[in-house]
Amino acid sequence: MNVWNIEEIPQLLKLARRYAKSYVAGEKDVRIAVLGSYSIQHFVSVLRFLLHEEGIDANIYEGEYDGILMDVLNDDSDLYEFKPSMVILLPSIKDIKEFPVLGSDADAVEQLADKQVQLYQGIWSKLETSLGCQILQANFVLPIERALGNLESNYEYSRSYYYKRINAKLEQKRGGNVTIMDMDYWAGVVGKINWFDNSSYYLSKTGFRMDYIGVAAEVFVKQILALTGKVKKCLVLDLDNTLWGGVVGDDGCMGIQLDPNNAIGESYRAFQQYVLQLKERGVILAVCSKNEEDIAKEPFEKNDKMILKLDDISCFIANWEDKAGNIRTIASKLNIGVDSLVFFDDNPAEREIVKKFVPEVLVVDVPEDPADYVQALSLCMPFEWGQLTGEDFKRTQSYLQNSKRQELESSFVNYDEYLQALDMVGSVDEIDEYSKERFAQLINKSNQFNLRTIRYTEASIEQMMQEENTKLLAVSLKDKFSDYGIISCIILRKDGEECFADTWVMSCRVLKRGVEEFAFSHVCDAARSMGCSKLVGEYIPTAKNRMVKDFYPGLGFEEIAENKYGYDLTKEYNKKIWIKEIN
Amino acid sequence: MNVKETLTEVFQDVFDDDELELFDEMTAEDVEDWTSLTHIQLIVAVEKKFGVKFTTVEVMKLKNVGEFIALIEKKLA
Repeated sequence: MNVWNIEEIPQLLKLARRYAKSYVAGEKDVRIAVLGSYSIQHFVSVLRFLLHEEGIDANIYEGEYDGILMDVLNDDSDLYEFKPSMVILLPSIKDIKEFPVLGSDADAVEQLADKQVQLYQGIWSKLETSLGCQILQANFVLPIERALGNLESNYEYSRSYYYKRINAKLEQKRGGNVTIMDMDYWAGVVGKINWFDNSSYYLSKTGFRMDYIGVAAEVFVKQILALTGKVKKCLVLDLDNTLWGGVVGDDGCMGIQLDPNNAIGESYRAFQQYVLQLKERGVILAVCSKNEEDIAKEPFEKNDKMILKLDDISCFIANWEDKAGNIRTIASKLNIGVDSLVFFDDNPAEREIVKKFVPEVLVVDVPEDPADYVQALSLCMPFEWGQLTGEDFKRTQSYLQNSKRQELESSFVNYDEYLQALDMVGSVDEIDEYSKERFAQLINKSNQFNLRTIRYTEASIEQMMQEENTKLLAVSLKDKFSDYGIISCIILRKDGEECFADTWVMSCRVLKRGVEEFAFSHVCDAARSMGCSKLVGEYIPTAKNRMVKDFYPGLGFEEIAENKYGYDLTKEYNKKIWIKEIN
Repeated sequence: MNVKETLTEVFQDVFDDDELELFDEMTAEDVEDWTSLTHIQLIVAVEKKFGVKFTTVEVMKLKNVGEFIALIEKKLA
């Protein structure tokens, strides 16, 4: 289903309605509340259907028309009874009823905008304290009409200026649990003349033209996927006619088209520039090309018109094998799930093969014209994440250093010697204001090394930080090649003599480095300091976390029930640990 | 073009019911899924199918399917 193709929307609405009729709420369904200032029935039905298509069954609470405040402020409302884990707030520009008086000074405009935004801050904090939920807050879509014409952007008391200030303040004041959804941007992408349907608004209070219901819902679907841990982490790129014009095997590393003074060359360079921006925000880059490896690498090394360098690519695969198999190799080399890959290749036949044989991969519908590559990649919204942290900006650097690390590894016969040569230092700390965002991100993004796969919002993490019987531990690691920051998170709960490991997750980038043992010795200390004599862990199997099936037995735990393990804390843990304490 | 036949197809498509037959006195009461929102969906579908455009007041004044057919015929004339 291509949500951008308005010809397909009637079909989408029909499928959504059919699905709504057959939907039976299940206990494990994600609970989402949608509250809006305009008619939201269609939005809810399309949202539920598109989520289902992505493998998420959603039980959706549909607020009354224009009922945001009614639901939120009333403690006895159906909303609180429903107990959603996510709330979508869809305000309308028509909610804003108070405006700066013409001629007011900047301060007065700011104050009025503050007042408007305080209303939303109040809603957020009420939802957070009562529900501890994630909030997806749409911003205001600026209308087409402007009473002051071009001067709207020249006087602070104009309505457009005022609306923009409100939108900016929503961004500034958002708490850790609030994601601002820039609907003004999406309306702009569609074109506001298309976005608004005036007659339908007056007749039935629709917020936007029915043609764009798919786009509007998709924006939220992507964010909900991110918040439930389904994120794409890596962009897999073809080379010939994808990163440059022409075929390097035929044209040579200097003959390929990358000329900044040529329309086609400039297009490919613009695409590389955008890909580089993605890398800088933490997307891992991989190459998957049908080529001789040394020839494929030549442009990266020798052609100074290339914007991407070999160092930017964390995994480089060039051979004559089929791409479906190569894509699986990339995922396993990078230690990430196949479903976290995005595939970009100009060749439709290759795309079909990948779609067919590795359906978990998001395959971008690459347009024929390289001038449109950047736009196509951006509009398919491939890398919507829950949050960005310092660790993301460092990430690709550490994936890259991995290859240097692998060189080092192959120079040792003995793995212990190798671990020692890495000069690893680490620390295990209780989390604070600065680390809690990364803590939330890791808990919500980790799928493979995740013992129980229980997700927590930032608000519930904050709450746990206050609890006396709970400890939240963050493990950081550095070695001679890179600084990883926080790569493992553990939540311990004291229950009498027992200490229960509620959560234990780790980034797969640091597998087989002794982080587990290092963390475990600290977990034992922490549990003892809480006055416990026994440590209890549990493994809840999912489709993805088989790798930690025997995690607890491996550490010396004994099985006490199916998938439940106990460890006697009076025992000293005396396995060799290769990570030195930072202090 | 037989407006009633074509309109029947649009109704059947929008309300996802191949059995649906139109009659002049038919209103939203007679079709389970005919709500104020599917009404907009219906109007949009009819506009696209017949290549016409309705004003807000024309949509508001529609009392039943018979009037709808008459309005489309008037627009096409």
